[in-house]
Amino acid sequence: MNTLFAIVFILSTAILLILSPDTFLSTLLAGASKSATLCLSLLATYAVWLGLMKVWEDCGISRGVSKGLKPLARRLFKTDDEETLNAVCMNLSVNLLGISGAATPYGIRAAQLLDRSDEAEYSSSMLFVLNATSIQLIPTSIIGVRVALGSAAPADILIPTLLTTVFSTVIGLILTRLLIPPKHGKKRARTEEVFFKKKGAGTQ
Amino acid sequence: MNYVLALLVPAIFLASFVFALFKKVKLYDSFTEGMKGAIPLIISIFPYIASVTMLSLLLRESGLESKLIALLAPMFELLGVPEEIAPLIFVKPLSGSGAIAVLSDILNRYGVDSYIARCACVAYGSSETIFYIGAVYFAGLKRKKLTLALTISVVSYLLSLLLCCALCRIM
Repeated sequence: MNTLFAIVFILSTAILLILSPDTFLSTLLAGASKSATLCLSLLATYAVWLGLMKVWEDCGISRGVSKGLKPLARRLFKTDDEETLNAVCMNLSVNLLGISGAATPYGIRAAQLLDRSDEAEYSSSMLFVLNATSIQLIPTSIIGVRVALGSAAPADILIPTLLTTVFSTVIGLILTRLLIPPKHGKKRARTEEVFFKKKGAGTQ
Repeated sequence: MNYVLALLVPAIFLASFVFALFKKVKLYDSFTEGMKGAIPLIISIFPYIASVTMLSLLLRESGLESKLIALLAPMFELLGVPEEIAPLIFVKPLSGSGAIAVLSDILNRYGVDSYIARCACVAYGSSETIFYIGAVYFAGLKRKKLTLALTISVVSYLLSLLLCCALCRIM
């Protein structure tokens, strides 16, 4: 992003300097004021949805979703380590509910734990692909932007979005399975996990 | 169809709140507590949104944007992706807040309910900031063999774009 920003900024400023230097500052200010308006409407949207997410968290819906994902995660990530599975499941379920900001800490934890496992290459790749093609049930920020701009039907992108994101995740999953196959069976992975867990506990 | 979707959001809220009461959650406390998180979130994304908006306006004012789009148009046309959403497609894998800025620009320009705008919304909503995730999640790890995973993610992203534009045409 840094490279892209530098190249584009310098190029267009240079062109403006030659063509119409007086529009430069007004363009920057227009950009900043537009973003201020946008951020205000996003603040409103996030307030509503983050409020709801907290309610979900407090009444155990988030934990429930995470628990429901566990058997799936066990098969996908080829690990039986409880701590790893917990981090992975929280990461995936928070992603599902569309709170990407909250998914990051769990994602980082899961990445660190998976890195120690025997199937590190496969399972880290799987975690990355699932996060990078994330399935989202409610795309909150988009609905917010559409409401703010006066759309007649702000939610009519829900179904195409859901279909598209499921599609990209399935493609990613299949490609990962085909191109980065797990090396060993489940049993081997389990013993390795126990070994690493003991080792980890010893050094702490 | 639209009516059913309009019902969905209030239904989700109603169901969650009734369930929360049933679970003896202090609704008011919990709801306001969650809302608190919105303020730091916005503060943290504002600088990014602002810089990318400035950048995209500069790009347009200098006339570079129309040249770039003209250059890429044949490729996009071939794939059935409207060339107007090209800037979004490039920014999204790099920066989420930057992409919101580009998205709202597209929506303003072509009308919120136009085909182009809906395409842009679905493209934004169905994808993730691939490179950002790679950088943040896997920064401090020893075994960094993620090139293949990165490629897989980018390929799935591009394939899903094709589906997204096709779906927006029929739905």
